[in-house]
Amino acid sequence: MTKRTLPRLYMVSNSLERPYPAKELPELVRQLTAQLPVIVQLREKHLDARTLYELTLYLQSLMHDSDSLLFLNERLDITLAAGADGTHFPEKSCPIEKIRTVAPGMLLGKSTHSLQSALSAEEEGADYLIFGPIFDTPLKRRYGSPMGLEKLEKVSRNVSIPVFAIGGITPENTRQCMDHGAYGIAALSIFHVTTNLAVTLENFKNALDQ
Amino acid sequence: MQIKRPILCYITADNLCPVEQSEKALEGGARMIQLRNKGASGSDLYDWAVRIRKLCRIHEAIFIVNDRLDVALTANADGVHLGQRDLPAHLARTLLGKEKILGISVSSLAEAEIAVRAGCDYVGLGHIYPTFSKQKTGRPLGTACITEVSQNLSVPVIAIGGITASNAGDVIRAGATGIAVISTVAEAPDPRKATSDLIQNMRSCLQ
Repeated sequence: MTKRTLPRLYMVSNSLERPYPAKELPELVRQLTAQLPVIVQLREKHLDARTLYELTLYLQSLMHDSDSLLFLNERLDITLAAGADGTHFPEKSCPIEKIRTVAPGMLLGKSTHSLQSALSAEEEGADYLIFGPIFDTPLKRRYGSPMGLEKLEKVSRNVSIPVFAIGGITPENTRQCMDHGAYGIAALSIFHVTTNLAVTLENFKNALDQ
Repeated sequence: MQIKRPILCYITADNLCPVEQSEKALEGGARMIQLRNKGASGSDLYDWAVRIRKLCRIHEAIFIVNDRLDVALTANADGVHLGQRDLPAHLARTLLGKEKILGISVSSLAEAEIAVRAGCDYVGLGHIYPTFSKQKTGRPLGTACITEVSQNLSVPVIAIGGITASNAGDVIRAGATGIAVISTVAEAPDPRKATSDLIQNMRSCLQ
């Protein structure tokens, strides 16, 4: 597999906290990927492997004609089985170089919460990083206080792989993240809480394209 | 690696250190370890898997990871054990390659035959007796089911569910190649001795 240009908008799924997971996620993915190229990361730890595999195949069919990419959180076996595009790993995980030996052509990314771990992830061979939380967000409070834009800039300057900013990202603060070196932005809640997804996406697109 | 009769497969219990448990079971004579912990992070599973794999090499035992084929691949385990709600068996076989061991949990001859067609190397058949280790629904299969499945199958049958030193012999006599246990070893005051007692009982009915 050749590495395609990574989309700059990244959606992390977490249906467990949604009222109608089975219905909401596919509909959201369909709308997102129909409007612009997105990386969709399936992060559904409550699902058994068979259900996750079947959901992956279903989402792939919805994304078929787009330039979007589908990643799985951690389960590189399901990525391989379904022929999805990549796997994303938490900060603490099996080393990326080890994973690379099992899945040579796969896009591999890593969550990082410090400059040190960002540098290690790049050294291990990660293709991209998610760094955050940048701004305050209830979902990410367990990772400590927000990093802020200065740390984002420091990380972005010190690694040569794409860095996606995460944590409290909105269309309004996306430009700031880009100005501080981010390659793109990653988000979750905003796609669910927005009353007009098409407008939110258009605003994201404008902020990312500037 | 061969699954030799009578084999004891120790499946790690969630509430104890999997590495310590495995070491005790191996010292007691277990020749197969299955790392199983549904709630653990991928990182912990990987670290445990690397350590248990080494112990298994020393004891010439087979090392299998439950459900997480990703962990089995990265930690270079000998194989993976999948339930009916895990990845489809034929895909797991493709990802594992020909050499690695694929085990599938089954609860009937029909499921066992499908598992064999998908390329599995052994089936875990259960539950044979009532058990509380994994909240099982449905009635225990009993030893007659072991005979039915093992006579009709080309791969080893490893019996699971409620197996203790007092019934391990019956299970082997019924045709099982071996047994898989969690609580009988994990909850024993001396897990090494509990393991060797089980093996002794299996062996005595083969002589």
